[in-house]
Amino acid sequence: MSIYSLLVPARAGGRLAAATVLALLAVSCSPSHKGTVPDESNSAHPGTEVDLMNQDSTYIGEKACLECHAHANEHASMGKHLKAFRSNPRTPAQTEMCEACHGPGSKHAADSLNRSLIIGYTRDWGTPVAVQNAQCQTCHKGGGQMHWTSSAHDRAGVACSDCHNPMVKNSLNGALVRSTISETCFNCHQQQRADFHKRSHMPLPEGKMSCVDCHNPHGSSTRPLLKGDTVNDVCYTCHAEKRGPFIWEHAPVRENCANCHLPHGSNNEKLLVAPRPWLCQQCHDASIGHPGQLFNNSQTAASALIGGAQSQRVIGRSCQNCHTQVHGSNHPSGARWQR
Amino acid sequence: MNRTLSEGLCHDPLRGQCGRKTGRDEMKSWRTTLALCVSAAVAQMIAVPVRADSAAGVGEHLGNALNPLTLKTVPEHDPDGLDAWPDERTPTGKLLGWPAKVPETSSAGDGWVYHGQIEIGGMATGGDTDNAWFRTYKDLPDSGLYLNNFSVQAEQLGKGKGYFFEALGGGVGYRDQFEGISLGRYNDWSVKFFYNETPHVFTNRYRSLWSGVGSSNLTLNGVPAGGVGVKNADGTMNATDSQTATVAGLRSAIEAVEDSELSLVRETGGVSFDKYLSSKWRFIGRYSLEHRDGSRPFGAVFGGGGGGGSVEIPESIDYDTHDILAMLRFDDGKNSLNLQTNVSLFRNNIDTLTFENPLYVSTNTVAASSGVLDPTRFTSGRYDLYPDNDFYNIKAEYGRSMPEWYHSRFTATVSLSKMKQNDHLIAPTTSDLSGISINGVSAENNWNTTSALSRQRAGAEIDTRLFDVAFSMRPTDKLGLDTKIRYYETDNKTDYLACNPLTGQWGRLLNDGTGGAFAFPNTSAGNNPAGTLATAYDSAGCNLNAVKALGLVPSSGASNIRNVPYEYSKTNVEFGGEYRLARGQTITGHIEREQYKREHRERDSTWEDRLKIGYLNRAYQWGTIRGSAEVGRRRGDSYDPDPYEEFFSVSLGPEPTADVTNLFSWIHAMKSFRKFDLADRDRLALDLRLDLIARHDLDVGISGQYRQNRFPDSDFGRKDDQTLGTASLDVNWQPSDKLGLYGYYSYQRSSMTQSSIQPNGCVIGNYYYFYSDGAVASGSTPTAPARSGASLVDTVLVSSGNWSSQCSDHAANSPLWTESRKWTVDYDDTNHAVGLGGRYDFGFARLELDYSYVTGTSSLDYSYNDAALGLSSAVVALAGGGMPDSDYNQHTLGLNLVFPISKSVALRAIYRYEQGSVDDWHYAGVAANPVPTDSGSQAVYLDAGSQDYHDNTVGLLVQVNF
Repeated sequence: MSIYSLLVPARAGGRLAAATVLALLAVSCSPSHKGTVPDESNSAHPGTEVDLMNQDSTYIGEKACLECHAHANEHASMGKHLKAFRSNPRTPAQTEMCEACHGPGSKHAADSLNRSLIIGYTRDWGTPVAVQNAQCQTCHKGGGQMHWTSSAHDRAGVACSDCHNPMVKNSLNGALVRSTISETCFNCHQQQRADFHKRSHMPLPEGKMSCVDCHNPHGSSTRPLLKGDTVNDVCYTCHAEKRGPFIWEHAPVRENCANCHLPHGSNNEKLLVAPRPWLCQQCHDASIGHPGQLFNNSQTAASALIGGAQSQRVIGRSCQNCHTQVHGSNHPSGARWQR
Repeated sequence: MNRTLSEGLCHDPLRGQCGRKTGRDEMKSWRTTLALCVSAAVAQMIAVPVRADSAAGVGEHLGNALNPLTLKTVPEHDPDGLDAWPDERTPTGKLLGWPAKVPETSSAGDGWVYHGQIEIGGMATGGDTDNAWFRTYKDLPDSGLYLNNFSVQAEQLGKGKGYFFEALGGGVGYRDQFEGISLGRYNDWSVKFFYNETPHVFTNRYRSLWSGVGSSNLTLNGVPAGGVGVKNADGTMNATDSQTATVAGLRSAIEAVEDSELSLVRETGGVSFDKYLSSKWRFIGRYSLEHRDGSRPFGAVFGGGGGGGSVEIPESIDYDTHDILAMLRFDDGKNSLNLQTNVSLFRNNIDTLTFENPLYVSTNTVAASSGVLDPTRFTSGRYDLYPDNDFYNIKAEYGRSMPEWYHSRFTATVSLSKMKQNDHLIAPTTSDLSGISINGVSAENNWNTTSALSRQRAGAEIDTRLFDVAFSMRPTDKLGLDTKIRYYETDNKTDYLACNPLTGQWGRLLNDGTGGAFAFPNTSAGNNPAGTLATAYDSAGCNLNAVKALGLVPSSGASNIRNVPYEYSKTNVEFGGEYRLARGQTITGHIEREQYKREHRERDSTWEDRLKIGYLNRAYQWGTIRGSAEVGRRRGDSYDPDPYEEFFSVSLGPEPTADVTNLFSWIHAMKSFRKFDLADRDRLALDLRLDLIARHDLDVGISGQYRQNRFPDSDFGRKDDQTLGTASLDVNWQPSDKLGLYGYYSYQRSSMTQSSIQPNGCVIGNYYYFYSDGAVASGSTPTAPARSGASLVDTVLVSSGNWSSQCSDHAANSPLWTESRKWTVDYDDTNHAVGLGGRYDFGFARLELDYSYVTGTSSLDYSYNDAALGLSSAVVALAGGGMPDSDYNQHTLGLNLVFPISKSVALRAIYRYEQGSVDDWHYAGVAANPVPTDSGSQAVYLDAGSQDYHDNTVGLLVQVNF
């Protein structure tokens, strides 16, 4: 049952608003005692809690599954799981085809609507996420999934099947629930989607990279699930020229690119955190020279036409008109990154 | 959904297709033709590293703007959905949607089946097609034949077989093309190739004064190198007239130049090999080569001490990056081991960039040995571009699951890396500097060879080490616990002394010999013994200890004398767990301490304590709630505003004491100024996400994020509250295979505040007079000059005994950091992003529409005391209270209509509209005023920045499935 059925008397235009109101109410009125906590399973079958592991079922073979799931088989057969299982199974479990993932199906075949008798990967079926994920991990445990346990996604209770659907070939790779990695991630990460549409952004909307170029959604040794040991290590994979090291280093640059750049998108050029020259002035306030000066609108090229005095610290590339090698310099005179 | 068993069963379940060969024979000739086309396209590909997995490498995604989903073909959706249950959702509650129809396959004998498609036709784009913003990361055809995409998949799936071949691509021949091939055997081995081009168009409004853009030599056209020299009657240079004539020549030359494009293309290709060595061992190897070729806006400055002329030159780019990755993976169900080595080799095919200089430069420090220096001799400059560098990494990861012991799991990671480069260094200048002296020492042939350097090669090296251990367990069904310790450190071994062994001079010759930043003994009476020569350090050669032993006050405290080998370590210790409140409901809580230890930074140590709690409720029938709150508190040890003394000339001798010595170069920064990456910080992060099942076929997502960084101890620098808030609404309606609609809206607002003080001066023996309107003046007598409309508030005498206290920090009566000279900037960003779209199947045609709109406004307001800063009323009138808003908006509409003609052939009509408008004060007036100064130091701006655009792209393509 969805919330829709609760809202049938409402006018169509008010349904969405009503749903929103209910949702907000729900936030402030979470279930107060155990007895009212709904089961994840819509059917709330009494056996759900006791037989989730389906331990006493036996394998019945793919042919029996197809007697009811022939159409699903058409789709699933396009995915790499079934192709591999059927043609060249790597483990004994994989020889069980559908049951390799869904578990042994004898009891399910006998009582097909009992949701406790086989592992399902959809919300309605109600198999606990921990059980779902554990089943995936029987094969996907090492390798790129090495750090899944206690990763940010694991802690957030994300199910493998929140992102993956091996039953349908939506995506070229990865058996995703959406067509691409990025679209799959945007299911939850709407802020990043907005960032990627900003004036300067990484080329995700243009199809030239995906979230997984930088992040490992299955966990890593870093908090933001980075694929490198540090933020900079990740950035250097595409910006290797900035790796150096250089004779003349720039401390915040060496430590963390994100000190000056936003990783996904920005209203400023070059994905900068703030507009130049003020970005630089957030650290530079030297007692000598120009770093501490107040730069202002009288110093643009336009203002110079009407009586202002231009400043190369304001116009165009701003500070980088002179400090061009701000990521580091190998020139013997490059301590201030001017060569 | 009422499929019968006979309908559902295939004769060949491995193919998953039944009785769909009708009408295919007549397509055979088509297939042959198309196969040839595909083969030809594939043949264009260059070998490159393959798409990586989620753990390592880049290049996961192949696609382009017209195929952002890798292949955008506007498919027909399956009216039967996936299975018997309609409107299935992910565990969080997102609709799985209606899958595309399963493609029909053909048999090629010997058990091979294949299917594929190709989309080719005519496309044309009209409008501002050269616009750099429009062309960001994409290359749409101006007009002509266009192979939008293709794919072919062939498989031999019989038992014991499992062989496959896949190829795909799009935009073939264009600068955003992509192609990929993979072949192998499922669960056994695979080889993959990919090739991907990404264009980066930086500007199409660059007015180049040089030939040779993209090469290592830029040669001026239309203006003389070194500027226009005008001499006085006595033969000496007339600086003012020379500068004026140079400016006039530059303006004429720029006006005569057409706009051009500065861009580069990333061409990335690679190959990977993946092999299961046994049921437990797996090997993965990859190689990729990325070539970047083109140019981008750059800049060059001459002179020193703030610049004696600047010009926006183009930087030439010709990079190769080789990336090699080898992984050995083991997994036996309980134990997992990843052994990985990665080598990345960056090679810059343009080591140095030499450019002819169009400016009549203003010099400093360097002087003619006799007579007056002629700046027109500085005809060129030279950059040492990014050096070749090597990166090596070995990593070992081990994981062990112990289900029998509280379902625990242990992981450990060790990662060791080395970054190094040992480029041949270049001489400070290519000029012989004949007839020029520096602080009384002849510069002739003393700075134009690498003998002028303390070392010939860079010898730069940073090692990094990572150790990470994590452990988790589930003592009870309801309770899970986890802990993690992570240690990362960098070890910088780079050592460079800024000293010329030929002359013994410490410091740097700046900007190709047009300026200098040297450390020499202070010759002011009273600072050093009478008769101390400016060359006194030189006799010690480049022996730093010997120079220090002289005990002479340096001329300045701010000259670099050696590199700063920054390095740090970072330790994270974390503990927490989750508790299952009820079915589908969990709370999580974690505490963490993150500690940095840094060398040569303002703080040796900072530590941040964090507490994060999270809540998940998936038990509601109407959706899922996820929320989290995190607070963090960063503090550190004492903040030293000048930890760099040993790397600057301030360390060469004692502090000055003589009158008239300006001490600002001995005072590195204001004591109260805080760099934001080291400052005390209180952090708050809130996240809330509701995934609502509004109807059986309708999802509604509501999310909000809020970030707040408060800098409680920062009076200057980034200060107060830095905030970012985002609210988003998503709607996804998938009522049928015929119809699907989506929409989203995101609102973002961020704010940031920073303050600083425009420094004044701190001269020993000077009196500083502070007036009621904030103005500051100085003089040599205790009597302050009268100031109209203001009264004297205070007078301070700077002496050798009080300067460090008087000038080190801000105060109402600080000569250097006068409170009234403070300025504050408030920066606000506001963004709206909207997306709408959907699909509809008319039967005779399928429609897909995607529209996005984004708009952003950035405002920057400042406050200041104009009297204190000595700004004229004219400047104040122009400066106002802030910069003009920078804003932009962009509309993108994509319309696709596919008309099926037969089961195998369809026509696809494409229409794409883009419109963008942008205002950025950085570029305001640049097009009309590229050389804003009439005389004095020239500043030349050749990139006029982004501009508005609108473009229409239309296409009519034939879509053939085979």
